[in-house]
Amino acid sequence: MISQWILAIALILVGVYLLKARRSASQQAIRRLFIIVALVAGFFAVLFPNYTTAVASLLGIGRGTDLLLYAFVVFALVYVVHQYRRQLWQEKVTTDLARALTLAEAEIEDLRNSRKL
Amino acid sequence: MAVPDLEQEGWVVVPMFNEAEVIGPVVRELTQSFAHVVCIDDGSSDGSANIAREAGARVLKHPLNLGQGAALQTGFEYVARQPGITHVITFDADGQHLVGDALEMLELAKRKRISVVFGSRFLDKRTKPGLKKRIVLKLAVLFTRVFTGLRLTDAHNGLRVLSMEALDFVRLEQNGMSHATEIVHQIAKSKLAWREYPVEVLYTEYSKNKGQSLWNSVNILIDLLVR
Repeated sequence: MISQWILAIALILVGVYLLKARRSASQQAIRRLFIIVALVAGFFAVLFPNYTTAVASLLGIGRGTDLLLYAFVVFALVYVVHQYRRQLWQEKVTTDLARALTLAEAEIEDLRNSRKL
Repeated sequence: MAVPDLEQEGWVVVPMFNEAEVIGPVVRELTQSFAHVVCIDDGSSDGSANIAREAGARVLKHPLNLGQGAALQTGFEYVARQPGITHVITFDADGQHLVGDALEMLELAKRKRISVVFGSRFLDKRTKPGLKKRIVLKLAVLFTRVFTGLRLTDAHNGLRVLSMEALDFVRLEQNGMSHATEIVHQIAKSKLAWREYPVEVLYTEYSKNKGQSLWNSVNILIDLLVR
């Protein structure tokens, strides 16, 4: 079934994002396009609920509800992974900042001590 | 017993987080053999910094708790700027290492021109870890071998001697406990000469309570995979 392929590939991509992602402009652009596409798709799903079932059966999924559920799970995973990576990056920034502060302070203390002697 | 050269050229880096109970004697003993003892206080709230300073250490203070790996890296960057330094010695704050072992390792590194000397508690019979501890440590060893290709017998020993040349290759990004594997990985990539040296690890009630659990092996694995 085509839906199985799409879902499997989506999950693999989420895994790749978890392991390999680096912050880059292209990634940010993809993320934003992703959100726009999701919004537009959501908009049409609300206006024409029957079409979700049509799209679902096209992909080999029974009902439109199931299609939405699958899409939701994938989006949720992407979100979790993205936030996790953000947190790692934030930690790195905090560490660099704290270290710079510590080393600067140490340098001042060392200068003071050498003047006293 | 301290040789003047060793005393001046080997800088000791001690990462420290809430070790007020034990840090005083550890620093005092170190300063008897080493002229330069640097404690990196990783945001302690129990006055460890003052105790270490009074005991004779140069104390650098992190403004917040970042983890042992982060403290080591800060120490490395600080000592790398110091004139006359040839080696850096990493030494745990909890009193589980012997200063004599550190001196012997430094002496070996200098005499044989070995860039990195790792302490290992499994090369002789002095250290007696319990069964559970032994299993955790052996798993860490196995994992480090697979991950870094270096055939160490003890992967998570806090006592190490690194030459300045080796320190150039070390840039710890793992703030937590995974730095122990990360440092081996970076040394492995440097292709510099390394050696293990038998050291004793003293298991006091104090250090036992701070030891690593089996769960931490899982955390380390994930830390190193997801960066």
